[in-house]
Amino acid sequence: MKVRFTLNGKERSWDCEPGESLRDALRRHGIVSVRDGCGGEGACGLCAVILDRRAVNSCMVLAAQAEGSEILTVEHFSRDRELSIVQRALVDASCVQCGYCTPAVVLALHSLLARSPEPSEAEVRDALSGTLCRCTGYEQFFEAARIASRRIRDPLYAEARPVDYRPELALVGKDREKVDAAYLARGERAYVEDRVEAGACHVALLGSPHAHAWVVSVDDEEARAMPGVVEILSSRNCPDKVYTTAGQGFPEPSPHDQRMFPRKVRHVGDRVAAVLAETPEQARAAAAAIKVEYELLRPVLSIAEAKAPNAPIVHSGEVSYVSGEPPAGSSTAGDGRDDPVVYQFPLHADPHRNLAASAAAGIGDVEAGFAAADLVIERAYKCNRVQCTPMEPHVAYAKVEAGRLVLHASTQVPWHVRRIVSRAIGIPENKVRVIKERVGGGFGAKQDIVVEDLVGYLAWKTGRPVFLRYDRAQEFIASRTRHAMEIRVKLGAKRDGKLTAILMRLEADTGPYGQHCLTVPMNAISKSLPLLLCDNARFEVSSYYTNLSPAGAYQGYGAPKGSFALQTALAELAGELGIDQLEMIERNRVGSGARIEILKSLGEGREGSAVTLGECGLGEMIRRGREAFGWEEPGAAGRRAKEEGDWRIGRGAVIIQQGSGLPGLDAANAELRLLADGTLLLLSGGADLGTGLDTVTAKMAAETLGLELQDVTVISGDTDLTPFDKGAYASSGTFFSGKAALLAAEDLKAKALAAAAAILGEPASGLALERGGIVAGKRGRITLAELGHRSSQGEGHGELSGFGSFKTEHAAFPYGAHFVEAAVNARSGEVVVRRYHAYQDCGTPINPSLARGQVHGAILKAIGHSLYEEMLYDQEGRCLNPSFLDYKIPSSLEVPEDFRVEFVPVADEVGPFGAKSVSEISVNGAAPAIAIAIHDAVGAWVREWPFTPERVLRAMGKLGGALPASRATSSRHSQ
Amino acid sequence: MRRTERYARPASLGEALALKAADPAAAWLAGGTFLLAGDARDKPESLIDLGAFLPRGLSAAGAALAIGAGTSFQELADSRAAPALLRRAALGMANRNVRNRATVGGNLGANRSCSSLIPSLLVLGAELELAEGGPPAAAGLESWLAGPRGLVLSLRIPAEAGRRSACGRWARTACDLSVLSAAVSYRLSAGAMRDLRIALGGLGPRARRFPELEALFEGRPLPSREDMEARIAPLLRPIDDLRGSAEFKRFRAAALAAELLRAAAGQEADA
Repeated sequence: MKVRFTLNGKERSWDCEPGESLRDALRRHGIVSVRDGCGGEGACGLCAVILDRRAVNSCMVLAAQAEGSEILTVEHFSRDRELSIVQRALVDASCVQCGYCTPAVVLALHSLLARSPEPSEAEVRDALSGTLCRCTGYEQFFEAARIASRRIRDPLYAEARPVDYRPELALVGKDREKVDAAYLARGERAYVEDRVEAGACHVALLGSPHAHAWVVSVDDEEARAMPGVVEILSSRNCPDKVYTTAGQGFPEPSPHDQRMFPRKVRHVGDRVAAVLAETPEQARAAAAAIKVEYELLRPVLSIAEAKAPNAPIVHSGEVSYVSGEPPAGSSTAGDGRDDPVVYQFPLHADPHRNLAASAAAGIGDVEAGFAAADLVIERAYKCNRVQCTPMEPHVAYAKVEAGRLVLHASTQVPWHVRRIVSRAIGIPENKVRVIKERVGGGFGAKQDIVVEDLVGYLAWKTGRPVFLRYDRAQEFIASRTRHAMEIRVKLGAKRDGKLTAILMRLEADTGPYGQHCLTVPMNAISKSLPLLLCDNARFEVSSYYTNLSPAGAYQGYGAPKGSFALQTALAELAGELGIDQLEMIERNRVGSGARIEILKSLGEGREGSAVTLGECGLGEMIRRGREAFGWEEPGAAGRRAKEEGDWRIGRGAVIIQQGSGLPGLDAANAELRLLADGTLLLLSGGADLGTGLDTVTAKMAAETLGLELQDVTVISGDTDLTPFDKGAYASSGTFFSGKAALLAAEDLKAKALAAAAAILGEPASGLALERGGIVAGKRGRITLAELGHRSSQGEGHGELSGFGSFKTEHAAFPYGAHFVEAAVNARSGEVVVRRYHAYQDCGTPINPSLARGQVHGAILKAIGHSLYEEMLYDQEGRCLNPSFLDYKIPSSLEVPEDFRVEFVPVADEVGPFGAKSVSEISVNGAAPAIAIAIHDAVGAWVREWPFTPERVLRAMGKLGGALPASRATSSRHSQ
Repeated sequence: MRRTERYARPASLGEALALKAADPAAAWLAGGTFLLAGDARDKPESLIDLGAFLPRGLSAAGAALAIGAGTSFQELADSRAAPALLRRAALGMANRNVRNRATVGGNLGANRSCSSLIPSLLVLGAELELAEGGPPAAAGLESWLAGPRGLVLSLRIPAEAGRRSACGRWARTACDLSVLSAAVSYRLSAGAMRDLRIALGGLGPRARRFPELEALFEGRPLPSREDMEARIAPLLRPIDDLRGSAEFKRFRAAALAAELLRAAAGQEADA
């Protein structure tokens, strides 16, 4: 049918199907800025358009309903090269992170300002309530709205700039425009889905409806004969090898236990078959026609079930080791039917007991420590499974060009994708090129090779371009989740609060496959235990296979869970001893010059060593928090029980830490070329997943060479063009990739000075590189532009290029202190975080407002898993809430009223310009700080996240018993 | 997944009714936020879009207030003509983009237990103007919800002087559907609650009045919240589901109803 309307001021007449949504029609006509993050549920707002002057979700409007309407998309505001007042404000407020939701935010704010030019903060929150963003924590959106509103009246209005952290430097330590912000705010093509060409084929996945079952047969005969079908893959015809999907350095500390299509499905949504067809509809229709016979097995749905003596075995195939011997007493002989499990080296595993990995170590003598204590407590904490929910789900587009496989990927680890995909397919690595596009949110989920193996193989096998994009339900059940964990903490202390012994026993649920099965739980220990100084400390970690959704990396890795357990237990102990919880932290925490002995037993798979800390900013951070929260005011010790009607007000404070990449394991490289026009081309292996890493590396180059940011062009994450980088995980971006860029810049600078010396006829030692890119000698001067021109024309050694390679044994720990004020409704159990202050040491903040945005975003994600988020399963292992309708992530309306981030920089001796990592650490504080605040408010400890009203009421004794682990019934529409 | 194959946008009520008569399985389409939601969900095979003629906006109808079925939730929330109770209830639908599209009539048509609006309409004694083929007919909202028929053209909120009302909901986050929603309304006469109405959503297949709760307190002075909670809770029969256990919902709904009964006493009575 014909539909006529006005689109961005132009009359249009389109042929549409009766049931076609306006979103699909717009995308079909090339308006790619209209995106989809929730599968048409109307929950995410990324498909927003302004329809007859109101922002609406175009997924829920039929194209036909738009007849006679006026429609605006972000393209209306992106004419010529100018940015609209809102787009400019978003860029200036540094809140264009991954950019995937930015066009929707642009429309929401334009729509708001049109009806209310001077909006209140409540109006701004309301206007943004329809747009979900997982990166920013929304706080800087509020600032952008304020800036845009002021500029309606005063076009030159600018916010007061934050502290200049390095006054002696030109760019580092001050805010500059993020290098990709403007074009993302304009809604330009930048993501994998924007690269798909006409003629590309589409994949439909047939996922298992069962949590645990043998795939007895797959009958695809009828499906193969259906229109448009190009290829069908299943366990019968896929490559017969196992690999890990964890994008970690090789050899990976995760077992190779996953076949492209397993012989035995191990979770609901596990791969059974994939159809490649000319259209998505044809692929889906053929997938529905595949007949599968299953032999059902009892599923393993909890850690307790995995450990039980007669538990079903998730992996029953042969177990082997590439190096090292199987652990004594472990079982290795397979059942002759299941896929094998291959460990690169021993992880104290025994898969035939569902034990994917384990570890135990410590210092001192904990039993003696407990014996010497005046008080010993033991508490158990539980962290439920949560999902990262990047707004852009997993997606890949592959094609074969010039005999090579080209993979357009939304990934944090281009080089690991290249390696793992080539091995999965069975072709040499140099036949694979991975191009990392703009990533619409990663948060750890995109550290894993979730779809690239399949998409790559289908393209390689058929020669056709292949596109696959998960829908939101698949993203929930078949991408990666945060490991569920149960952590028992035993603490002993003297009456004065000084700890005598710490014992942490941690059990993790790694799900059906072993990606990150040891490293995530170990990280829970290694980023929590070293915060407390205690001579006797021990940990025991076990990671179990289950038949729930696959676990993996999620911002913070294991640390949020270890931090929740240990910091909350410390506060519980303080309460028992009658000591203020912050004072308890002060009496036991790490500080300047401290010797951290426990690091001896936390060596990331290698021999660890104790570290003597230099300066530590925790004291200053705690001082600032105490002051801001009036900690010393009367009634501060113990419960304050301030009351406002049914609401009780409590507060909590915690200290947190993370690392900055993996010392001794990680490596990053960068190349910096001086071009003939005097600008710089930076080839960085680093993978910017919306965090601003490309801006950080560009700053390294510009600062060092005396140029401006716009003089640097960054190419990153393309395995054909850029040198190796481990990828963006383990908080390594700024520290490793940034440092590699800095080393490349210093190398180029030395070469440029040498070349200039030859031209000027002066010794290089007497030359200086000044701002503006001018080499100044005693007798003459030459610009980098002149130098670039002459060297590229063959003078000297030819075009000038610097190379930087960074690897280190040095561990750079960022620290933080987080303070929370929460209101708890004593009648209903509801918890509202009113104030959240993060005092954070990231060393030198390279770009302070971008760094601040990382912290805001991390904290709001953590408030999400602390209060709202939880994947729920029924008794067959089916996820009950794989959509934003029933898996609730924070919106603009959940942002704390007083949400402050302050940096307390302690420059690192190795990090680039003194920088350390910033983003991941900030996920670690919310859960323990809120748990402590809830206790302060109502006197009850909630030891299981999320702290839903129901759990709070149970902890308060207002409801009986515990919440059941799995839900017997599900009915999304009934009640 | 079933897709929509036929779409019509009649220009008048008469044309719409004729289309429906010819294609009885066709579904009425208003804002579409319920019918069109979810890419993976079945859609009605045939849709009759009411957007071209369905009454929209609020107007006086004698002493009563008429609300066009095509009025969006945001329009209702923004309308100065609407009772404060309805404005507040309309804001209970998350989020702004959805409120801009969702209509009052569509919400009734969906008839979901999680409606934030229906409890408030029930306690205000809303009546419906229906088209069923003949001349427009009137129906009480309560009975219509129990057996929906015809096409809702508009709602009528009768003027009932002296009523005090309150509404509220419980949701997991601000941008959630209403896991529980509630509204109460009564007159205070010599310290006693008269003509008490209590409507709840989230405790059964659809939102409805709860005469068994009304009978507890009708004609009596307002008890303490604790007393009310203790008497209300045993009469509620929620189910366990992913949004909460039956035990929690019973506790929470009783607390919500008791809170609203107290809160209404503090409201200005309607003129």
